Amino acid sequence: MLKFLKQVGDYTKEAVQAAKFIGQGLSVTFDHMQRRPVTVQYPYEKLIPSERFRGRIHFEFDKCISCEVCVRVCPINLPVVDWEFNKETKKKKLNHYSIDFGVCIFCGNCVEYCPTNCLSMTEEYELSTYDRHELNYDNVALGRLPYSVVNSDPMVTPLRELVYLPKGVLDPHDLPANTRRPGQLPEEILETTEK
Amino acid sequence: MTSGIDLQASFIEVLTGLGLPAGVAKVLWLPLPMVIIVAAVTVLALVSTWLERKISAAAQQRIGPEYMGPLGMLAPVADVIKLLFKEDISIAKTDPWLFAIAPLLVFIPVFLSYIIVPFGQNLLITDLSVGIFIWISLSSIAPIGLLMAGYSSNNKYSLLGGLRAAAQSISYEIPLALAVLAIAMMSNSLSTIDIVDQQSGYGILSWNIWRQPIGFLIFWIAALAECERMPFDLPEAEEELVAGYQTEYSSVKFMLFYAGSYANLVLSALLVSVLYLGGWESPIPVSWIAGWINVSENTPWLQLLTASLGIIMTLFKTYLMVFIAILLRWTVPRVRIDQLLDLGWKFLLPVSLVNLLVTAALKLTFPVAFGG
Repeated sequence: MLKFLKQVGDYTKEAVQAAKFIGQGLSVTFDHMQRRPVTVQYPYEKLIPSERFRGRIHFEFDKCISCEVCVRVCPINLPVVDWEFNKETKKKKLNHYSIDFGVCIFCGNCVEYCPTNCLSMTEEYELSTYDRHELNYDNVALGRLPYSVVNSDPMVTPLRELVYLPKGVLDPHDLPANTRRPGQLPEEILETTEK
Repeated sequence: MTSGIDLQASFIEVLTGLGLPAGVAKVLWLPLPMVIIVAAVTVLALVSTWLERKISAAAQQRIGPEYMGPLGMLAPVADVIKLLFKEDISIAKTDPWLFAIAPLLVFIPVFLSYIIVPFGQNLLITDLSVGIFIWISLSSIAPIGLLMAGYSSNNKYSLLGGLRAAAQSISYEIPLALAVLAIAMMSNSLSTIDIVDQQSGYGILSWNIWRQPIGFLIFWIAALAECERMPFDLPEAEEELVAGYQTEYSSVKFMLFYAGSYANLVLSALLVSVLYLGGWESPIPVSWIAGWINVSENTPWLQLLTASLGIIMTLFKTYLMVFIAILLRWTVPRVRIDQLLDLGWKFLLPVSLVNLLVTAALKLTFPVAFGG
């Protein structure tokens, strides 16, 4: 009899505990309801990419010396450098240059190692196309001015990412002008270290 | 206790005043409440689909439907229009008859159950003496429809979903009925009107939830299982069974399942408010306030106010329960089929039996508080 009563007691205890946990869970979900949505209404609002964002690669045709370092440092030897040797000037002459962004992993090694800085990263990230062959950018496409979230489209409201908001602010909407993110900016850190 | 507004009597009176015989007036009255209730239930179900999206979005810090009408309120309308215009796909190698009848068999009992749901003293289609019992019996038709849908789809996922739905509905019917039985015993009646009347008198203090807290929980858990809501939504568990018995359905037939499930959720919430939360009664009775400001209870404007407040109160309590159901959906994980049956047979059933026995004992010892 006592054993049975103990069983009943244990069972009740477990049931009460389960109810308590469900109550805790409910309070968590209920608490989330009063938080502001973190939604970015995409085609109308866009996040500003961070400073070291690795987007589409920009290429300056005239700076390139056809050294093929970008090809050698690329994990999959992706950039196609089409050059011929000009016997009169005894220099390589670049004919075409292309990178296929359908295959590129945006690691940034080519940008890192380019001796003449003719490659650079942009903040353009909207690369979708209907046909994957359109992602194969030639030197003309690579040289185009990159799309900028901040000043390319008047329909788009640029929004700051969470890290770039002032301390304690979670809502990127309607920020007053010249609000700073917490901490020092990279150039300010440089100034203090040089002194 | 006043009878409040009797719409039927006034309607017939007006028509006989216009020179119609009383019989014709009554015939003219008959379809009115049914049409109104069917329309109202459709709207209530649509509102709950909208609430489901909005509250789910809020619980996940999203916005939810926004551009379709103010606050996305037209989203359910867009849904209905889309489903009406979609192609009705009939699948090869299904049983066409069972396949077509199944959604109706799920949909009709739910809407039929609304005949006993009161929104006020006289604001219901009919005050049956078997009242709440007809809901319990009608709700046992739905599993047959689910099983038919699963079986006729000729698809293993549908069949599994249908079988689970049937097992679930049958095992949760019993605790549900026992919880209702305790209420029926306390109010000495099965009629929904009598059940609410028995809870009036002391405002919020006389509601059944204080006398039947365990019964309330059992009823709510079992009702969620009957509606296949989140902790118990294994018949349509999308990760395992695609969409359970609904997998092969599209367009209007799917809409019947969809509308039926939300109408069923609203119905269960309505019955919780009727059985446990005092139905159309306000937390502070209107008759008390009328007494304090010295207005006779038979004043026409006060009666009108009481009736509209009753409807608002019922709907408020109902949607409070719907809100809790939606919040629960994002809180609790889905139970496994064996856990589900364990919970139904080994926990809810004994607890509801004990609850019934304790209620009976309390009724004998304290007949004043527990309806002697």
